[in-house]
Amino acid sequence: MIKNTKCECGHQNRVGTVLCEACGKPLDEHGDANELLEMRYDGAARRSQRANPNFIDKIWNFFSSVKVAIYLIIFTLIGAMFGTIFEQESNFVNFDPSTFYKDKYGTLGDIYYKLGLSHTYESWWFVLLLVMIGASLVICSLDRVLPLYKALSKQKIRKHMQFLTRQKVVYQGTIGEDEAEWVGQAVKPLKKKGYRIYTDGSALLAEKQRFSRWGPYVIHIGLIIFLLAVLFRGLPGLNVDKHYWFPEGEITKIPDSNLYLKNEKFTVEYYSEEEMSEGFRRTGKIVPKLFETKAVLYECSADCDDPSKEPQLREVERHDIRVNDPLDYKGFKAYQFDFDLTPKLRSVKPVLVNVETGEQYGKFQLDMSNPQQEYQLGPYTLELKNKYMDFSLNEQGQPISKSKDPNAPAFLFVIKGPDLPDEGSQYIYFPKQIDKERFQQDAINEKLGGLQSKLALDVVGMEDVDFIQSSSYLNIRVDRVMPFVWLGLGIVMLGLVMGFYWHHRRIWLRVDDGVLTLGAHTAKNWFGLRREVASFLKTMNVEVDEKQLENGGNRS
Amino acid sequence: MGKARRPVQIVILVLIVILGGYAISTAVSGGGSGKPQSGDKPPAIKLLGLDGDVHTLEDYKGKAVVINFWATWCTYCVNEMPALQAQWKKWQDQGVVVLGINTGEDEMTVRNFAQQLGVDFPILYDSDNEVVQDYGVVPMPTTFFVDKKGKIASIHEGELNLATLDDQIKQLVNP
Repeated sequence: MIKNTKCECGHQNRVGTVLCEACGKPLDEHGDANELLEMRYDGAARRSQRANPNFIDKIWNFFSSVKVAIYLIIFTLIGAMFGTIFEQESNFVNFDPSTFYKDKYGTLGDIYYKLGLSHTYESWWFVLLLVMIGASLVICSLDRVLPLYKALSKQKIRKHMQFLTRQKVVYQGTIGEDEAEWVGQAVKPLKKKGYRIYTDGSALLAEKQRFSRWGPYVIHIGLIIFLLAVLFRGLPGLNVDKHYWFPEGEITKIPDSNLYLKNEKFTVEYYSEEEMSEGFRRTGKIVPKLFETKAVLYECSADCDDPSKEPQLREVERHDIRVNDPLDYKGFKAYQFDFDLTPKLRSVKPVLVNVETGEQYGKFQLDMSNPQQEYQLGPYTLELKNKYMDFSLNEQGQPISKSKDPNAPAFLFVIKGPDLPDEGSQYIYFPKQIDKERFQQDAINEKLGGLQSKLALDVVGMEDVDFIQSSSYLNIRVDRVMPFVWLGLGIVMLGLVMGFYWHHRRIWLRVDDGVLTLGAHTAKNWFGLRREVASFLKTMNVEVDEKQLENGGNRS
Repeated sequence: MGKARRPVQIVILVLIVILGGYAISTAVSGGGSGKPQSGDKPPAIKLLGLDGDVHTLEDYKGKAVVINFWATWCTYCVNEMPALQAQWKKWQDQGVVVLGINTGEDEMTVRNFAQQLGVDFPILYDSDNEVVQDYGVVPMPTTFFVDKKGKIASIHEGELNLATLDDQIKQLVNP
């Protein structure tokens, strides 16, 4: 159907226009002639409204519909609601989802799990909904803000009579003065109320706080930034959430970064009996009061990418990490998560002694990891031949290591020196006393022969044993997207403030043959507008009751 | 009016499809942070070798690479070492490389072990356990077979014997 969209004032309007873009005359002739006007988007057509929409227009129209947007939001909310009530699988590291949901939430939970909804936030449909909301935000906004902007920036001052009389705030009355003069006098009091005035002979337009009309679109821009930030959080490097062990006293590399973290000291304090309440004491639980990792963060400054060289580290941050008090370095955060108080042997300092005379030939440091391979002690040379961190014998009776942790370390040396064969004598050494007995060090050495129990390695005192006392488990987090989330939310807030605390107000008036016709429009706070119009008319010596300004149309 | 809007509409719709498609595909593939699968490009490797040189996967571009994760304390890894050595001897002239990546042990342990078993294919130290994590290796041994085009052809968890190893390498060389 081809509709005539030409207004009687001669202006050619676009399809879908409600009020003539030029004079404001209502174009829909079928409506009740006394009904209040539809003032949304100032009566301008939405961009997508076309006479013959093609395929692209149809997609565009779909997304530009507020109704569609509301359904999208409702579906997303329902999905997110259940996703919040039923714990998501991604929250757990180790559990069996096939029984978890039934046990915890009953049949409903089981249905939820079996429908495959336990991965809501990572599911294609949820992300698709978010993407569609994003599309809707962009298209809805463009579709409305551009026509509105155009309509508001080229407003005609002299409006059609019907446009004025079908506003919600209307006044009509005779004024016995010269028309142009009256309009000229009206400028000053309106200006005083903060209006910007445009006159055209005997017609006038007063307008203020137009910017508040952009509030909703500013909100949309903020929401789009927010959505983009959330959707692209998965890009590499933007979001890291990992857990690593940091043994005390060691510098540990943080994977996929050029950062290294040293756990200088880990401490845990427990609540004492006196500090606990009566009821709590009875439960017999031991509750940590404080756990703290004294951490130093290093950044690699050179040789970082060359595994044949030792990286050169530079201290960049130092912090005592406690629960809820993470180390924070340029968005890189380390949170206290767990700890392990099992001590691990780091190194021992044994002495070489002559078993018969008790003579000592010197002390040396034997590291569990990357030990030196040769030691010179008095007249003797010790060559480290092999080491087993978790000593055991395999089925063939050969020594092997069961793991890489120094649970039962053993070191095989070849000792050379006076009174020993030229090729040296083999000697096995267990630094831990318990292993010495368990694996019968002396018996093994006897079998290895050569030394004839003349020499032995021995640790003199506890000060010669170095333990890694504990390990701290830290949660390493990087969230580079958060600033954008905050930015988006900030813009949303700005838009809300713009739209809520200011209201766009317009007053049109025209004088024809001594009769003043006034119409006023706002989006909110009609009461305030009415009062403002009444007080303006009063200064113009037109006495009118506020309530009489209210137009009795049937549109709220 | 009207004509200039069409390109704008198309550009916006195309952008939405691209960004949305990307967001959905990363969501479905688990954010891209998961383990590498068959058909994926293997994660980069840059590690110090037993020979003192730095080895990267680019060094072996155009070759079929067998990446084996092992440790001296893992019995199954030790058991399969002779098979790896034998297949390396057999196939190295046909553009096949075996990389043995040791998971976090020190130099001495690894060197002694390699000498003891007479292994002479490149052995690399993953001292910070970074590559193990990038490859998402959980059980040991795990072996990745990378074809000559540089894509993971298959992943084998657990001990390999001579025959299966031969089979797998044959498929890499003559797909």
